[in-house]
Amino acid sequence: MAMNRRNFLKVSAGASGSLMVSMTLPGCAGIQTGYEPDTGEWRPDAWLELTTDDEVFFTLARVEMGQGTYTGLTTLIAEELEIQPERITPRFAPVAPEYRNPLYKLQLTGGSTSVATSWEPLRMAGAEARQMLVMAAARVWSVKAAECQASEGRVVHPNGIDSMAYGKLVALAAKEVVRGDIALKPRSEWKYIGKQRGKLDARAKSTGTAVYGIDVDLPDMVYGVVSRPPRRGGRVRDFNADQVRAMPGVLDVFEIERGVAVVADKYWRARKAQDALQIDWDFSDAVSLSTGDVFDSYRAAADDDPGESERSEGSFASAMEAGDRVIEAEYAQPYLAHATLEPMNATAWYRGDRMEVWAPTQAPDLGRVAAARATDLGPDDIIINTTFLGGGFGRRLTQDYIEEAAAVAYRTGRPVKVIWSREEDTRHDLYRPAMLHRMKASLSGGELTGWHHQIVGPQILDWYVRNAAPAQYPWAPKFMYDTLGSVGLMAEGIATPKDISAIEGAIEYPYQVANIDIRHTHTDPGIPITWWRSVGYSHNGFAVETFMDELAHEAGEDPFQFRRRLISHEPRHLEVLERAARLADWQSPVPDGRARGLALFRSFGTYVAQVVEAGIENGAVRVYRVTCSVDCGQVVNPRIVEDQIEGGILFGLTAALYGEITLQDGEVQQSNFHDYPLMRQYERPEVLVDIVDSTEAPTGVGEPGVPPVIPALGNALFALNGKRQRSLPLKANA
Amino acid sequence: MAVSLTVNGDERSLDIEGDTPLLWVLRDELGLKGTKFGCGAGLCGACTVHLNGQPVRSCSTPVEMAAGGQVVTIEGLNDGDQLHALQEAWIEHGVPQCGYCQSGQIMSAAHLLANNPAPSREEIVAAMTGNLCRCGTYSRIIAAVESVAGAESSGSSQGREA
Repeated sequence: MAMNRRNFLKVSAGASGSLMVSMTLPGCAGIQTGYEPDTGEWRPDAWLELTTDDEVFFTLARVEMGQGTYTGLTTLIAEELEIQPERITPRFAPVAPEYRNPLYKLQLTGGSTSVATSWEPLRMAGAEARQMLVMAAARVWSVKAAECQASEGRVVHPNGIDSMAYGKLVALAAKEVVRGDIALKPRSEWKYIGKQRGKLDARAKSTGTAVYGIDVDLPDMVYGVVSRPPRRGGRVRDFNADQVRAMPGVLDVFEIERGVAVVADKYWRARKAQDALQIDWDFSDAVSLSTGDVFDSYRAAADDDPGESERSEGSFASAMEAGDRVIEAEYAQPYLAHATLEPMNATAWYRGDRMEVWAPTQAPDLGRVAAARATDLGPDDIIINTTFLGGGFGRRLTQDYIEEAAAVAYRTGRPVKVIWSREEDTRHDLYRPAMLHRMKASLSGGELTGWHHQIVGPQILDWYVRNAAPAQYPWAPKFMYDTLGSVGLMAEGIATPKDISAIEGAIEYPYQVANIDIRHTHTDPGIPITWWRSVGYSHNGFAVETFMDELAHEAGEDPFQFRRRLISHEPRHLEVLERAARLADWQSPVPDGRARGLALFRSFGTYVAQVVEAGIENGAVRVYRVTCSVDCGQVVNPRIVEDQIEGGILFGLTAALYGEITLQDGEVQQSNFHDYPLMRQYERPEVLVDIVDSTEAPTGVGEPGVPPVIPALGNALFALNGKRQRSLPLKANA
Repeated sequence: MAVSLTVNGDERSLDIEGDTPLLWVLRDELGLKGTKFGCGAGLCGACTVHLNGQPVRSCSTPVEMAAGGQVVTIEGLNDGDQLHALQEAWIEHGVPQCGYCQSGQIMSAAHLLANNPAPSREEIVAAMTGNLCRCGTYSRIIAAVESVAGAESSGSSQGREA
C-alpha cells in the first residue's frame, strides 16, 4: 500500500476525551481535516469516534437504502481497526464537503460506488486508529509497539496475557503520531471481509424500530399534503381556500410553487381536506403529450439526426458494403417509475435563521440546495438529517420532495411532515427515460463484421443539474443557481464528467467486431426523468443483448457459442458466461413448454451472465429459474452480494413483465400497485447466484443484476415461440 | 368519536374521527411507527397488523371497525426481550434489505404459523403473496419462515399472539 497516509488522514482529540480519526480522499489534499469542536463541523469523508466508555462510532457517508452500506462499510473499517463489526455503531453522516462521493463530487449514494470508493480509504482509517492505540499501549507497558497485537477491541501485551481495552487507551492514543505508511492487512489475515456474517441493521428492521423518514416524530409536528398539477407545467389559477380551511383540523391551505398545500394537525385530516380541495388549473403551458407522441418524436429525431458519435472503430459503412447481409431492428422501452415502498416524504422545521430537515435522501447536499430554493435561507443554514431509506433505486437522488416540504414548512413555522400518497408517488415520479434504439449489423459468411447502435432519447443530467451544480458550490449565492445549472451543462465533459446516462452500456460494447459505430441522438420530450436502478444499462442492455441474440439466430449459431466466440478476448466476461451456461446446463433439454435465454452484460465494473428458464402458463409469462454468475471483484459480504444480485434480478423481471408508465394527453395513467404491479412472492423464480472468487478490487453490486435479466427473458421467449419482442414490457401473446 | 381498543395488550382510548385508518391511529396517535404506510389501498401489505387474531391491512381499516378489538403490531410480537421466533429467524437469515416491508411480512408470517404451525411451501407462498417487497427479499423470507415452521414442532417459543 503505497499511499501516503498524511494526504488523507488526520487525527485529533475531540470533545469528551474521544479519539477522532478523520480523513479526506486522495486527490483532496489541502482540504483541512479533523474536528472543530467550536463549530461542530466534521471534516472527514468518514470517521471513527472511540470513547473512553469503549464505544466505537462510525459515520456512514453512504446512505442505507437496502443495498447494505450499513454493514458493508462498517465491515471495512472494523477489519483494520481490529474490532468486531457488531461492536461498531454506525451513524448517518451530516452534510459536509468531505463526505462527498469522490466520483461525483457530491454527497450522494448511487451508481453502485459505495464499496468501490470506500475500499481503501476506510481500511486506512481503521488501520491508522489501530496503530495509534497499539503505540499508546506500548508506551504504557514500555514495550515495542511492533510486538503488541490488536484484537477484538483490545491491545494485547507481547506476553500474550495482559491486554487493554481500546476505551482505556483513547486519551493516550490521541497524542500518538504515526510516521511512515501503514500496511493494510493481507487478504489471508482478514477476519470479517469476505466472510459470511449477519447484517448490522437486521434486528432494527425485524422489530419495527428502524427509523425511516416517514417515522420522524417531532414535538408540535403537523402534517402536510400537496396537490400537484395532473399535467406537468400546469399552474394554479384558483382554489377554494376558504372552504378547505374551515374543515376539521386544517391549519392552512396555500399555494406553493409545485401546487397547493394543505396543512392539518393530523395526516388523515389533511387528506380529507385535500379531497375537498378544488383547484382550477391553468394548463396553457402544460405537457399534453401521449406516449405515442413521445415515440413518434424519437423516430422523427432519429430520422433527422444520426446523432453524436460516441464510439467509432473501423468503418461500419464499408462493413455494410462488404457484408452479405445487413440485419436491422428497432427497440423501444417505456418510462418506468421507481415505486420505492416508502413513499416520498420529508419533515422540515423552519426556525427563522435556519431550517432542519429529516429525510430519506440519497443526496443530502442536494437536499440542502432544494430547501434553500424554497426559503430565504442559504444551504449553510439548512441541516439535513438522513434516516434509513425505504428503498431508493435512484428516486431519492432528486430532491423535489425535500423542496416541497421546505416550502410548506417555511410558511407553517412548525415542524411539518409532508407525505405523498402512493398515487402521488407514482404520478409525480421522475421516470427512467423512455428510449428508442436503432440497431444495424452486417454479417459476412456468418461472421459479425459490423455493429451500429443509434440511441435515441434524453440525458438525465439535463434534469439533474438544477440542484447538483449549486450543491458543488455551496458558497454560491442563490441568484446564481440557474446560472450554475447552465454552466454545469456547458462544462459537461470538460470541467464536469460527461453525462453518459443515455449511452452507458452501449459504448462499452464488448464483443470482438472490427467495425463499430455507436451514436446518440439527443432528444427530450419534456417528461421528468432521473436515475433508476442501472438506468442507461437497463435499456441499452436490452437492446444490445437482444440484438446479439437476433444475430446469433441469423447466423445460425447457438446464442451461447456465438457470444463465447466473440468474447474470448475478455477473460472476466468469458468466465461468467461459461459458468452461468454450465450451472444452468445450457445444452441440456428443457422441459416441455419451457425455453432458455441468456444474456451477458457488464455494468458498474461488475460482470454478470444470466440464464433464464421461462414459459407461458395460463396466458402469462412465467419465469421458473434464473442462474446468474457474477464477478464483482473482492467480496466484502457474500450474503449482501447474493441479496443485491437476486434483488436486481427481481427488479429487472418486474420491469420486463409489468413496468410501463404511459401518458394520455399529458396525464400519467398509472397510480398504484394494481396498475403498476411489482413482482409478488408467488411469481418468484428460483434464483441461483454464483459468485466468482476474485482478488480484484471490489466493484458495485446494487445495480448490475438488473440489466441482463430483461434481454435474457426476452431471448427465452423467442426460443419458446419464435416471436422476437423488441419493446417492453414483454408480452405472453406477442 | 371515542374509540377504545386493546393494542399489544394495553387498553387505549382516544377521541378521533371514526373513519381514520387504523394505520394512522397506531402510528401517529399511539406512536407505534413499526407499522408502515405503503399504498393506502390494501395492495402492498406493509401495514399488516392483527385484529382479533386476523391479519388486516390497517391502511384500509377504519379505526371504528377496530373499536373494542384486540390489535397486535410488530411492537407487540415479542415477549419483553424475547423476540418472536420469526424475528429471530429474520435476523439469522438476514432477510431485510431496505426493511420497509418487513414488519408487514413478519405479521403475515406470524398469523400463518399461529394457525398452521407446519405449513407447506405452497401454503407459505400463498400466505405471503399479499406482501410486496421492492428489494426482492422473497427467497430469504421463505427460508426464514420455513426455519421457524420446522422448529415449531420441537416446541420453540412463539411469543405473544393475539
